Amino acid sequence: MFRLLVNKVTDYAIFLLDPQGHVTSWNPGAERLKGYKADEIIGKHFSIFYTPADLAANKPARELQIASEHGSYEEEGWRVRKDGTRFWASVLITGIQDQGQLIGYGKIIRDLTERRQSDLRYRLLVEGVLDYAIFSMDATGHITSWNIGAQRIKGYQADEIIGKHFSVFYTPPDRERGLPDYVLKTAAEQGHFEGEGWRLRKDGTRFWASVVVTALRDEEGTLYGFSKVTRDMSDRKALLDELQRHAEELELRVREREESNAELEAFAYSVSHDLRAPLRAISGFSDALREDYASRLDEQGQEFLQEIIAAAARMNSLLQDLLDYGRVSRISLPLEPVRVVDAASQAAAQLSEAERKHLKMQIPTELVVRSHAQVLAQVIYNLLSNAFKFQTKGAMPEIRVVAEPRHAMVRLTVQDNGIGISPQHHERIWNVFERLHDRDAYPGTGIGLAIVKRAMGRMRGSYGVDSDMGKGSKFWIELPDAAQSNTAMEGT
Amino acid sequence: MTPEVPVLLVEDDASDFRLIQRAFGKLDRPVPMIRLSNGDEVVDYLAGIAPYENRAVYPIPSLILLDIKLPRRSGFEVLEWIRKQRSGLKRLPVVMLTSSRHSADINRAYDLGANSYLAKPDTASKLGQLASLVQSYWFSCNENPDLADGIAMRGFQG
Repeated sequence: MFRLLVNKVTDYAIFLLDPQGHVTSWNPGAERLKGYKADEIIGKHFSIFYTPADLAANKPARELQIASEHGSYEEEGWRVRKDGTRFWASVLITGIQDQGQLIGYGKIIRDLTERRQSDLRYRLLVEGVLDYAIFSMDATGHITSWNIGAQRIKGYQADEIIGKHFSVFYTPPDRERGLPDYVLKTAAEQGHFEGEGWRLRKDGTRFWASVVVTALRDEEGTLYGFSKVTRDMSDRKALLDELQRHAEELELRVREREESNAELEAFAYSVSHDLRAPLRAISGFSDALREDYASRLDEQGQEFLQEIIAAAARMNSLLQDLLDYGRVSRISLPLEPVRVVDAASQAAAQLSEAERKHLKMQIPTELVVRSHAQVLAQVIYNLLSNAFKFQTKGAMPEIRVVAEPRHAMVRLTVQDNGIGISPQHHERIWNVFERLHDRDAYPGTGIGLAIVKRAMGRMRGSYGVDSDMGKGSKFWIELPDAAQSNTAMEGT
Repeated sequence: MTPEVPVLLVEDDASDFRLIQRAFGKLDRPVPMIRLSNGDEVVDYLAGIAPYENRAVYPIPSLILLDIKLPRRSGFEVLEWIRKQRSGLKRLPVVMLTSSRHSADINRAYDLGANSYLAKPDTASKLGQLASLVQSYWFSCNENPDLADGIAMRGFQG
């Protein structure tokens, strides 16, 4: 019965040896594995299956000796087929005794060449990996294998570290809080552990490690060890730290900016209230003096009084313009579709009735820009008031306002027939307090165009001037065409 | 119509006070005016606390012209206090008269129950126009509320 069973087995070589090691039985599995037929091999000594090296080391005899003394011998190793080729064999030799007397050996052999090769390929792969420290540990965390990447990253040679406990890679604080045990426990319970943290090299330096620990279990599920893959992420960590630092710095700057904006706000408030109060007194009492006491002042006294009144009025408009300029620079400008014609009409309404008679506006009603309605109206008003201000003495002003789409923008142009600006000044007229003429000829604070410049910068627009002496000026602004950007958005 | 009871002007700036007083004084029918210069005084005055307990000398005003930036209690705090009163005093018409044109200030004033908000003009002539408008609006056009409700009792007690 047993013999019948053995004779059916083809995956395993199963045969018997006499106490001296001669083959006494042979199954089909043995024939298939080793290439010998039963009649060729029975009676031969089993050392015929061994490699020359094993023979030279007297391995066959030693194996039998161990099997007889301990009951069995087990190993994996190279064996030789009849045709001289080798195969990787899993070998079990069992001593067979009868009433305390050794009567022979049973031998079971399995061909594991395929597995051996894939193991080998895997091992070579692992050993060759430079970028990752890959090593294995037993169930208690003692190191059992060590690849070249581990050597490179951690600085230990394989023979220095194998057998040591893996907690040597941890920093003292991590060891004190039991991190190594926690890592193994987590891996054992959940199958694996992943984490990042500081680890130590052999020379004591630290590196930022990304770690994966995987529990290794045999077919019955018994934990027999762990594999650990460690990657040196110090570069990435440094980069992340750098980023973090930048982010914090940026946050700090934003906070500082917010604070300084709040201070500016308070400053502007103070200017509008505290600074204007004495000014109001100067102009108020000057007015009162003129109204109530004009008859008691001679001509020169009245002239002087007029100077005071004019200066106070100038200072008042200077303060107002500065506040406007500060507000355009500072306040948040939410951008929304604004009809150009509406903004221009709002601006024109601030002109005097006499001025409006000289104004011609040609703005298609469908033109809509992305802008801030009030600020745009102020910008257009500043351009209009600029156009009316710089007129040739005695000439009839002609101011034209036109608007047209231009690529993805809308351009609004304010054209005058005034004195013009020579090209060398085209840059500086946009600066705060910049004036080309003395105040007596053309009054003004020198802030109007600076407000235009600042407002266009904040509303993602542009501005410019075409002009020359005696040829009038064309001031233009451009803002994103809201109709076009809407179409584009719908298209996507 | 000229108010029989005075207008209470709350103004800490002496120059502004004189100019405002001059403007109201130059009207065809001058408006009698009491001046206080800080928020605490206003509350004491309206509550009839010493030295303002004598209502014959310190009557409840028909209108209050209230600056925002004041020493001690601000104009906002005074306004808040007025609107919280349980007597008819809570109805006292309050016109803010201030140099601030901040929308935050304007909105806050109305939120707290101001009846009007006027910015101080830059010139004496504009101030004169304003005074004339205030007089004709509040004392000719406007129907003013009854402030005596609950106050007379208190006044007599004082």
